[in-house]
Amino acid sequence: MPGLTYDQLQKKAKDLAPEEREILDSPYTISNEAYAALRWVLHDVGGQVDIPAPYLEKGEEPWEMNTYLTCECLGWRGAWNSEERRRRENDLGGTQYFGLPYYARWITVATKSLVDKGYITVDELGAKIDEIRERYEKGKQ
Amino acid sequence: MSGSHRHDGHDGHDGHDGHPTFPVASQVSEFEILELAVRELAIEKGIFSAEDHRRFAEWADGVGPHGGSKLVAKAWNDPGFKRRLLENGTEACKEVGIDWLKPTGTGTPSDYTFFYVLENTPQVHNVIVCTLCSCYPRPVLGMSPDWYRTPSYRRRMVRRPREVLAEFGLHLPPEVEVRVHDSNQKSRFMVMAMRPEGTEGWSDEQLEQIVTRDTMIGVALPKAGRTSDEDVQAKAAWR
Repeated sequence: MPGLTYDQLQKKAKDLAPEEREILDSPYTISNEAYAALRWVLHDVGGQVDIPAPYLEKGEEPWEMNTYLTCECLGWRGAWNSEERRRRENDLGGTQYFGLPYYARWITVATKSLVDKGYITVDELGAKIDEIRERYEKGKQ
Repeated sequence: MSGSHRHDGHDGHDGHDGHPTFPVASQVSEFEILELAVRELAIEKGIFSAEDHRRFAEWADGVGPHGGSKLVAKAWNDPGFKRRLLENGTEACKEVGIDWLKPTGTGTPSDYTFFYVLENTPQVHNVIVCTLCSCYPRPVLGMSPDWYRTPSYRRRMVRRPREVLAEFGLHLPPEVEVRVHDSNQKSRFMVMAMRPEGTEGWSDEQLEQIVTRDTMIGVALPKAGRTSDEDVQAKAAWR
């Protein structure tokens, strides 16, 4: 449609297919359809609709390889197993699952698992992170 | 990808496999700090040792698609080995020096499982995927390519395999059946393509050169003279 700005085109498209959204804010009741939508396991992706994406190559960066190794060592010595890892990644929910890079998911759930099971405390983790950050800062000088 | 070479994430953007590569972040990421924190705490608490981490790293450095290439090349030249490989993949791997029990004595926590080699025929083409996450036969193929782990590949391969294969440049005639194998915690797969024409009399070592990673995933076919996956062109798309 010549002569129309992008915004006008957008509005035209919206008028043709009006979009209505219900605000979700812990409602007292929901419809069965909404409940079905909320229960949908969006991480189980086989067969879901998608568009092609480029097939990019990306070898592991050092922190990514280390994440793999750390997660495997935790499995080797019985702190968890890879099925727990996969399940915990799923349970991050769609926003984090699809929002985080592949190995960021791994290390996020490894940390949660260790805290949940009492291997480490949140305080210990925080202190260790501060210590490492300080080390990095010193290394920069 | 040949041999045990692995990207370290800093070797440029040309993508020696032909696929474009990701740009590399220059700052220290939060994830890098988190990984170090978890590793150091785990070692301090005695969950695993620094030596464990080092041993596992050594194992991971040694695996790559060259292992799978050896299996396929040997099977093409040796019908007896081919039979053993198809009957019991895990066991036959030992004949080319691949031991699924490494590096822990009980295998890797993620990989020790049943290994099946899928033989292509004139009627059937096999391809592998993992719709649940990223299961991959690491002991024989090394670490999976990044695109293998993407939701786009995982979502679409099971429903529209011919389309996805075409995006890799592999156009199969309609009379060839495409079988998609969904890997999981118990089963790992690898594709054994048909031996291509023009390779008569080739040695195992010559044949290994044309059995590339992508041919063992099933998104490319081996042919004489094709020794890398560089001819696979990424389809322009947006994500």
